[in-house]
Order: sequence, then C-alpha cells, then structure tokens
Amino acid sequence: MKFSEIYDLLGCTEFHRGNSWGEAEILNVTAGDLMSEVLIDELEDVVLVTALNSEQALRTASMVDALAVILVNGKVPGPGMLSLAADLDITLVSSPYSMFGTCGRLCRLLGEV
Amino acid sequence: MSGQRKPPVTLVSQNIPSALTELIFRLKIKDVMSDVLVTGRKEESLRTIQQRMKEKSVTGVPIVDGRRLLGVISVHDILTAFDNGTIDERAETHMTRDLKVLEDDMPLSFAINYFNKYGFGRFPVLNRNRELSGIITIRDINTTLLSEVNRVVEDLESELNRNSRDDLGIESRQYYVVSLDFENAGRASSEIKKHLKTHGLDAKLIRRVAVASYEMEMNLVVHSSGGKMTFQMDEKEISLTSVDSGPGIPDVEQALETGFTTANDWIRSLGFGAGMGLPNIRRVSDDFSISSKMGEGTTVEAKIRR
Repeated sequence: MKFSEIYDLLGCTEFHRGNSWGEAEILNVTAGDLMSEVLIDELEDVVLVTALNSEQALRTASMVDALAVILVNGKVPGPGMLSLAADLDITLVSSPYSMFGTCGRLCRLLGEV
Repeated sequence: MSGQRKPPVTLVSQNIPSALTELIFRLKIKDVMSDVLVTGRKEESLRTIQQRMKEKSVTGVPIVDGRRLLGVISVHDILTAFDNGTIDERAETHMTRDLKVLEDDMPLSFAINYFNKYGFGRFPVLNRNRELSGIITIRDINTTLLSEVNRVVEDLESELNRNSRDDLGIESRQYYVVSLDFENAGRASSEIKKHLKTHGLDAKLIRRVAVASYEMEMNLVVHSSGGKMTFQMDEKEISLTSVDSGPGIPDVEQALETGFTTANDWIRSLGFGAGMGLPNIRRVSDDFSISSKMGEGTTVEAKIRR
C-alpha cells in the first residue's frame, strides 16, 4: 500500500512530505510511545505510529528506516520537529484518531484483520 | 522586574556555542543556587522582614514554616505595604502565595526557561521532599556559567582532532553526550548511520549498528551524568563503546533484564525508560560487555561483525 492511500483513508494532516510519499510500499506498522519498544521491532518498510510528539520520534524512525511517522490524536508537531523531518526527509503526518483507532484502521487497511 | 525586557534566549540554537549549551544541561539547579537562605516566619511583621532585606541585601525573602515554603515577600510587597499603611501587619497576610518553584535536581536549562517565561527576579528551589533547599537568581547563573565556561573551553581545546583513521585502516570517531540534553540526543547516532550509508554497507547491518548506538546514546542522556561514545570500524567489525562518569549501576544483572527501569514518569513522557535499552544493545550485538562501578561510571561495549 502506498503512503498516500494511508494518508487519505485516515484523513491525516500533512506536515512533511518525504520521498517515501508516492512510491514506497508500506508493508508494516510499528507503534509505541517508548522508543526502545520501537527499536526492538525488526520489521521493514514500516510506518511508526506514536503519541510521542518530539524530535526523538523522528530520530527513532530514522534508526529503523521507517518510511513515515504518524502522530495520533491530531497532535501538531513543533518547529524543531518540522525542521528535523525535513533534514531526515521522513514523512510526518498527524492522524485525527487515537492510538487504538489509528492502529485499528491500519490493521484493516493492511489486511491483517 | 522593571524596564524593557529583552527577547528570551533560545537555549539551543546555531548562535549559542555547543559547549555552553552542554553546560546548561549538565549543571543542575543545586550546583548553581544559593543555599544560604534568608527567610522569614509567617507571624513576623513586614517591617521586620524589610529590615532583614536591608541588612542582608536581598530583594526577596521566602516565608517558611520549618523547611516548608509558604510564600515569598518581595521588595514590591514591601513598597505596597508602605503605600497602604500595612507595614506592621503579619507577613502571611501579604505574601505572594501563588509561587513558581524549581526542583534542585532539574537541569539549569529549566531555570533559564523559567526566567524567560515568568520574568521574576528569583525562584525558590525545593528538594525531593518538597522542602525549601535554596533560591536561584540570574546573578547565581551568570557567576556559575562564567567560571565553568573557562574550564570547559580548555577541555574542549585539548580534545581537538579526535576523529581519525590510523595507518592500520581503523577508523575512529568520538562523540560527547550530555546528560538530559534531549534536544540533541540522537545526533551522534544519526551521524554514524549517515556515515555507514556512504560506505555502502548492508542495510540490516547498518540498522543493527544504529539501534545499538542510539540506545547507548540515550542511556548516556537519560541515566549518566554525561559521557563519551566511541565508534570504531575496521575490515572485520564495528565496535561501539560508551564510557560515562557516573553514577554507576548498582545491579548490572538487573539492568540487563528486559523491562527493568529506574526512569521516572518525566523521562518516560519523553519516550525513554522502557527498560529495553541494554537488552536491545545486547540483542543486536555479536559481542556485548558491560562493567559498572558505583560512584565511578559505566562502560558498555558492543561489537558487530561486518
């Protein structure tokens, strides 16, 4: 599934459009607010879903080559995060749904339920 | 506070040398505050407090019951009392009770943020038990920073040219990691990762190195009083070593258990303290070792074969 499809189906707000937006195939989702929980995953071609609205969410995403970061509950990233998303060129959006709501919908989209 | 206020200082920006940024995150409020306190009691009159202010040359007096902070009387309160004819009334009826306070083990950066945000001349400082342990003013901050800056500049000068490649083809890089500096945390790992990508190494290998270095870096930020991470690479393997200057781990076996953490809620709200850091490093390494001594520090070494 392309990221743009996920973006449309979740009704996200866009903050940075990285080069993963149109082309890359999203195969997996990793979710968490404690970054070590994310680093333990060995999945590839992932998007990271998190409530952690800070630079560290992007740094962590970069460590695991995540294609995008989806913030939950409509959180709005601060200026530091916006410029880091541009530096690292990681797609950054915000979903209007809760962690559970966002992950539930992603599960359905990726055909895991 | 009187006069025109300057725009607030941005703590981390391109304009402030990193050595200074490092200092304001490394120093704790207790290293900077004055702990020789001039206090008053709630039943004392404002006139008594005013005389004490004059005698001791202070502009604000915390009103306490034992070590419990009740309020503060400032010069402003005294002037108002003279105006209103209430100078002989008890301190407790006129003190400011709605106080902004700091905690003594917060980084100095918190105090600077408070001065920018609230424009008060001083903040009372509480210890872990919520007792008054000191008071901090801009003057305290200036004095401490000036004397620390000299020392740090000397240290940094002696460490120039620290990235090198020797004759045997071993490449080595060192990164200094500052305690509780969450804004810069992860930079070293990003650099290491970028560097490995330019070498065209296998993506899975790069990811293992990235996870180990990021966890190491975060451990230094969250748990240590600051330290150094070294990256080394030769034809066979990549090794990462972190060395910190304390406080040390009381029970290393326990720290290696998945889920064990000493982090508080504040650290967790920043995304750390899952209790997986050391286990994660061990998981991605081919060779892992750790040694720690209380009061001295911890050394962690991870080797990953290419």
